[in-house]
Amino acid sequence: MKIAEAMKTIDEKWTQKKKGFRVCMESYDGNSWILDFSPGEKASLLDSDVTSWRLAWKLAQSTPIDSQGPKLGDMINIFVVDQDKKPIPYYVTGERETFNAFSI
Amino acid sequence: MEGELVEKAERLRYAMVEYGAEMIQGLIILVFGLMLLQFVMSRLRVFMDKKAKNRTLATTILGIIYILALVTILSAALITIGFDSRNLLRLIIMIGLVGIVILLILRPYLPTLPFKVGNTVKVGSLLGKIEATTMVHTRMKTFDGKTVFIPNSKILADFVINYHYTPTRRLKIDIPIRHIKDILKCKQLMESIMIEDPRVQNKPARPVVYVMNLVDGSIKLGARCWVANPKFWIAQCDLLEKILTAMDREKITIAGRRQEISLFHETPMEISDYRSNPVSNIMSGSDDTGQDNAPGFSAVNEDNEI
Repeated sequence: MKIAEAMKTIDEKWTQKKKGFRVCMESYDGNSWILDFSPGEKASLLDSDVTSWRLAWKLAQSTPIDSQGPKLGDMINIFVVDQDKKPIPYYVTGERETFNAFSI
Repeated sequence: MEGELVEKAERLRYAMVEYGAEMIQGLIILVFGLMLLQFVMSRLRVFMDKKAKNRTLATTILGIIYILALVTILSAALITIGFDSRNLLRLIIMIGLVGIVILLILRPYLPTLPFKVGNTVKVGSLLGKIEATTMVHTRMKTFDGKTVFIPNSKILADFVINYHYTPTRRLKIDIPIRHIKDILKCKQLMESIMIEDPRVQNKPARPVVYVMNLVDGSIKLGARCWVANPKFWIAQCDLLEKILTAMDREKITIAGRRQEISLFHETPMEISDYRSNPVSNIMSGSDDTGQDNAPGFSAVNEDNEI
């Protein structure tokens, strides 16, 4: 196997480079919880997972879960996904993390 | 003498009666034209700053518009005064051609600034983005929001780093670790983090980690990878954060400055006794056995880690 072939194999089969990230959440529109993304699905992805997780955390801080029930604009189950909408592990813990985790 | 003055005044009066209205009209066209031009140019500049993606092209277009508008206003004013429009056109074309020829001849000998508007450059100790250049000075906006006017003569005489000449830039992260057993684990960890990052490029070179040095009891690992120039700063901060948090998660000890303290006396103390409680040993002058051993031990403080 030539070096170039070996490199190609490594690129394809070992660590997959993500194309970008977006924050996934469920937001309350007054009647039901809808799946939402930031940046939106048509917008370009964020290129930093660190920035994406900071955005997720800030969104979680801005809408703390209220025991009196959901209000318009509330956001729950906030986490970061890749270009295929697959959740990515939180870089700090190395495991899946969800901010404002709440079961509907 | 008096007669000459009277004659001159008479000539002026005649000129004012004959051409005064045209001269005033020409002056009004010139003044209002220049004021309108300044107003339009300031609005255009604001518009271009917001909308234009290529700032160099925008500046060039603005310059051309300004020159054309200025020539039009001057021509209109001169034609109103009474200049022949054909002769004026010939004059403008001749001046333009002579200017172009002179510029072409002198261009190789004219000193040019080693950057364009919009480039991020470092001039001496100043780092920032070039906002505008004139014949005399260059306006730079530093990343902490200051506007600096640098004389072009100083720029031409100083070292200039232009970060836009190449599309990519090498990113360098050096991490000192304490234990030899962590070398491989740490190398793999750093390399994986760099490969996974979308901003890290495989060209001109793939990301790599070297064992750089062994200094002051710490092993220095050096990570090197290439990222696009505009993303350099954030990518470096993010990668460093991810590497440090991952090392903490994997319990890889980062080495801080190592300090060695040696106290000598005739009666040496057992190092194991000293390590059990080094601070109280120093403060009280006795070890755990209760024996007075204050004036005698030799030890190395290895706990100075971050």
